[in-house]
Amino acid sequence: MRYLLRRMLHAVFLLFGVSILTFLFSTLAPGNYFDEMRLNPQIAPETVASLRAQYQLDRPLPVRYARWVNSVAHGQMGFSFAYNSPVGPLLWVRARNTLLLTLTATLIAWALALPLGIWAAASLGRLPDRALSWTTATLLVIPDLVLALGLLIMAVRSGWFPTGGMVSVGFESLSPLNKLRDIATHMTLPVVALVISALPMLVRHVRAAVAEVLDAPFLRAAAGHGIPRRRLLYRYALRDAANPLISLLGFSLGTLVSGSLLVEVVMSWPGLGPLLLEAILARDLYVVIGGVLLSTIFLVGGNFLADLLLLWADPRIRTEAGAE
Amino acid sequence: MQLLLNVENLMKRYVTGKSFGSREFLAALDGVSLSIQTATTLALVGESGSGKSTLALCVACLERPTSGSMWFDGRDVAALGEKQQRAVRPQIQLVFQDPANSLNSRLTALEIVAEPLIIQRRFDKQTRSKRACALLERVGISAKKAGSRPDEFSGGQRQRLAIARALALEPKLLILDEALSALDCSVQAQIANLLLELQASLRLTYLFITHDFAMAAHLADEIAVMDHGRIVELGAAEKLLRSPEHEATRCLLAATPRFHGAANLPEGL
Amino acid sequence: MTRRRPLTRWLIALVILHGVIACAGFFAPYDPLEQDRQRPYLPPMRIHIVDKQGHFHFRPFFYTFHLREGSFDQFEEDTNTTVPMRFFVRGPRYRLLGFLPCRLHLFGAENGRINLLGSDAYGRDQLSRILYGGQVSLLAGLLGAGLTLLLGSLVGTTAGYCGGWRDEFLMRVAELFLALPWLYLLFALRAFLPLAVSPLEAFLLVVVVTGTVGWARPARLVRGVVLSVKERDFVRAARGFGASNVYLLRRHILPETTSVLSTQAAILVPQFVLAEMTLSFLGLGVPEPVPSWGNLLANLQQYSVLVSYWWMYLPALTIVPFFLAYLGLANALQEYAEPYKIEGRSDDSPT
Repeated sequence: MRYLLRRMLHAVFLLFGVSILTFLFSTLAPGNYFDEMRLNPQIAPETVASLRAQYQLDRPLPVRYARWVNSVAHGQMGFSFAYNSPVGPLLWVRARNTLLLTLTATLIAWALALPLGIWAAASLGRLPDRALSWTTATLLVIPDLVLALGLLIMAVRSGWFPTGGMVSVGFESLSPLNKLRDIATHMTLPVVALVISALPMLVRHVRAAVAEVLDAPFLRAAAGHGIPRRRLLYRYALRDAANPLISLLGFSLGTLVSGSLLVEVVMSWPGLGPLLLEAILARDLYVVIGGVLLSTIFLVGGNFLADLLLLWADPRIRTEAGAE
Repeated sequence: MQLLLNVENLMKRYVTGKSFGSREFLAALDGVSLSIQTATTLALVGESGSGKSTLALCVACLERPTSGSMWFDGRDVAALGEKQQRAVRPQIQLVFQDPANSLNSRLTALEIVAEPLIIQRRFDKQTRSKRACALLERVGISAKKAGSRPDEFSGGQRQRLAIARALALEPKLLILDEALSALDCSVQAQIANLLLELQASLRLTYLFITHDFAMAAHLADEIAVMDHGRIVELGAAEKLLRSPEHEATRCLLAATPRFHGAANLPEGL
Repeated sequence: MTRRRPLTRWLIALVILHGVIACAGFFAPYDPLEQDRQRPYLPPMRIHIVDKQGHFHFRPFFYTFHLREGSFDQFEEDTNTTVPMRFFVRGPRYRLLGFLPCRLHLFGAENGRINLLGSDAYGRDQLSRILYGGQVSLLAGLLGAGLTLLLGSLVGTTAGYCGGWRDEFLMRVAELFLALPWLYLLFALRAFLPLAVSPLEAFLLVVVVTGTVGWARPARLVRGVVLSVKERDFVRAARGFGASNVYLLRRHILPETTSVLSTQAAILVPQFVLAEMTLSFLGLGVPEPVPSWGNLLANLQQYSVLVSYWWMYLPALTIVPFFLAYLGLANALQEYAEPYKIEGRSDDSPT
C-alpha cells in the first residue's frame, strides 16, 4: 500500500514539476505577450483589456501560476483568448476525438503485435522471423510524416476514402448506424497511419521479450514434461515476458494523447493536434499550456498504470514493495 | 629495522539504510591495528567480507578512515589533507586482483606503465619511454610487446604489467590485494617468485592480502588474520601456522587444500 | 575485424548521401530561388532516347512542355522541340561547400529548362529545391543532435562523477523532461518564441529548441557509463598515482562514453531532421523562400495540390534513404560497441 502511495505521490510531483516548467518556458517569450495579441485581429481589444485586468497578466509569475492551478482545480484550466471560453471544456471535446482515434489504433496495433511478435520469437532465425524483421525494418525507416502524406495522396487519387475531417456534410441527418459507418470510414486512414507507425517497434519489443524468455531453462523443463507448444507459448512464456511488455503498454497508453498530433493535422481530424497548432499560431497561451499538461497527465498516468499492473502481475515486485 | 607502516585502531564505517530516522552502520574496519617492518612482507589473511580490501584502500590513501591513525614513514597520513595525501600516495602503490579491471584496455602496455610518470609529471617523454621499457623488462615482459594492448597478453603477463606500473613511481610499500588469486596455479608460483626477487633487489615492503594460507606461508614473514573488520591474530608466519590460537585462524587453515608431495609448503601444512 | 564491415558500409553510404547534399550546387541544375512564373506546376520531365520518328539518340533528351489546348494548367509534351541533356555545363553561380565560387553543374540544357522532378507553384525547379533544402534540414538535424548530445554529456558526466545532491537534482530534472511528450514540448517551446522571423533566425531557433528538448535520455546513458567506469580499478589506480579529477575524466572516463554517444548520434540525427521537417511543414520552422524538406511539403496541405500535383510529394521520399542509412549505422554501432572488453585468453603460454 505504501508503495502505491509513494508512486502516486511521485506522479503528482511530476505533474506539478512539469506544469511549473511549462510556465517557466512561457516567460521566455521576449516582449509582452499582449503586444502580439493586440495585433491579432481575431481578438477584440476589449477582450484584451478585460483579460488583462481579470488575469492580471502583468502580475509576477508565482501569482499567475497560483491562479492557474486554482483554475485547473475547477476544471477550467485557464482561458482561451481565441475561443473566448475556458480551456478545459475545449480540450475535453477535442480529446474525445483524439482518444477515439488512438484507442482504436492502439488496440489494433497490440492485437497484431502480440501474435506476430510471439510467432517471430518462436521461429527465431528462420524464415517467418526473418521476413518479419525485414518488414519491420522497412516500415521503421518511413517517418510518420511521409506515411501520413502518402496515405492521403493515395486516398485522394483513388477516391476510396474521405480525405479529411471526422464526419461528412449532412452527418446530423443520418441514421445511427450510418453515423457510425460515416465516422468509421473517416477514421480508417488515420488509424491505418497510426497502426503502421506503431507496429514495427511493438513487434520488435514483443519479439525481444519473448525470445529472451524462450531461452530460459524452466521452459525447456516444461517442454520436457510434455506440455503442448501453444500452451507453452501463451501461458508460460508470455507470463514471464510480461514485465517489459507491461512497461511498453504503459508507454503506449501514455502516448495516447500526444502520439497522433501529426496524423491529425495532416488528415484534418478534429482532435487535440490541430487545436494545439492553432493555439500556437494564434499565441493562445493557456490552450498550449493546457494541451501540454493534458498529454503529460496521460504520459505520467500511463507509467503509473504500468506500475500498478506490474505490481498485480509480478509477485516479486509485490514482496519487494511489501518489504518496505 | 624500522617500521614502515604502523596502523592504530583504524575504523571505517559505511552508512547503509536511508530510511527516515534510522541510520544503520556497517563497520568494515572495526579497530584494526598492525605494523610492517621495512623490506618485509606482512600477509593479511581472511575470508571474503572480512574487510581486507577496505583496509587496502585506506592504507593506500584512496579511502578516508572514519577514525584512527596511520603512520607511514614517520608521518600520520590519515590526518593529512587531500593535497598532502596526493603527495604521499606515490609511495604506497596498489596491485589489484583482476588485471582485466585494473588495466585500461584502450591503452598500450607502454602507456599503462608510463602513466604514473605522466601524472606525476616526471621526466620528459623520451626518458619516460625508456624507463617504462626498462620496467617491462624488469618484470619479464619483452620490450617488443610495449605497443600491444592488454587483451593481447595472457593473465599472468597482465599481472606483471600491473606490477610494473606499480613500480614506476618507486614506491616504498606495495599492497597486493589478492593479486595472485585470479591466476592459474603455475602462473601464481612464477609471479610469486618475481615478487620475492623484486623485494630483494628493490628493498620493497609488501602488504600481501589473500585468502590463501598456502601462498601467505610462502611469501610472508608475518601473518595477520582478519575477521569481521578486526585483526584477531598476528604473529610470525611459522609460529602462526604451527600453533594457531584463534578460532578464525584455525578455520582458515583447515580450509586450505592439502596436496601430497607439494614442494613449497612449510612443514605442518 | 569482421565486425567492422557492415559499419564501414553504412558510413560510406552516409558519406555519399551527405556529400551529394553538401555539393547541392553541383548536382542541382538551377538556383532554388529562381522562378519561372510562366510554367508553374510542371510535371516531371521524361527522359527519352528514341524520338517520335523512331531515331535513336546517344544523348538523352527531353521534350518541353506547352499548355494543352483549352487548358490553363494542364501541360503536355511538345514533341517538336527537343532539349538535349548536356553534362558538366556552365550554369548559374553558386558556392561549392559554401565558399568556393563555381559555375559547373552536373547536367543542364542549352535551349530550355530541364525539370527532372517538376516545378512548384512559382515555377522553381523541384530537384534543385530538394537538394538545397536537404542542406537546411540535414544541417538543422546535425546541429540539433550535436547540441543535445553536448548538453546530455555535460549533465550526465556531472551527475555521474560528482554524485551526491548534484546527481539527485539533475536526475530529477531529467525525469521531468522525460515525462514531457517530446513533440508537444517542441511545439510549445516554439510557440513561446517569436513566430515571424527571418530564415536564419528561424533556423537557429529550430536548432536551439530541438537541441534543448531531448537532452534527458543521452544524459542518463552517459551518467550510467560514468558511474560504472568510475568504479573500475584502473581509475582507482590512476588516483593512486595522484591524478586529478580533470585527468581522470579526460583520459579514462570520457573516452568510454564515445560508444554510447555515437550510437545516440546515429539514432538522434534522423529524429532531429524529422523534427525540423515537421516544424517547417506546419509553418513553425524555416520559412519561404528558403527551401527545406519540411516547407517543400507544406503546400500539400492544400487539397488542389494533393489531387493534381503528385510530384510535390517527392521531397518526402528523399529522407527515406537517409533514415535507412542512419538506422543501419545505429544497428551496426550497437553491435560493434560492446565495451572493449578483454576477452579471457587461456593461459596456455608460459608466462
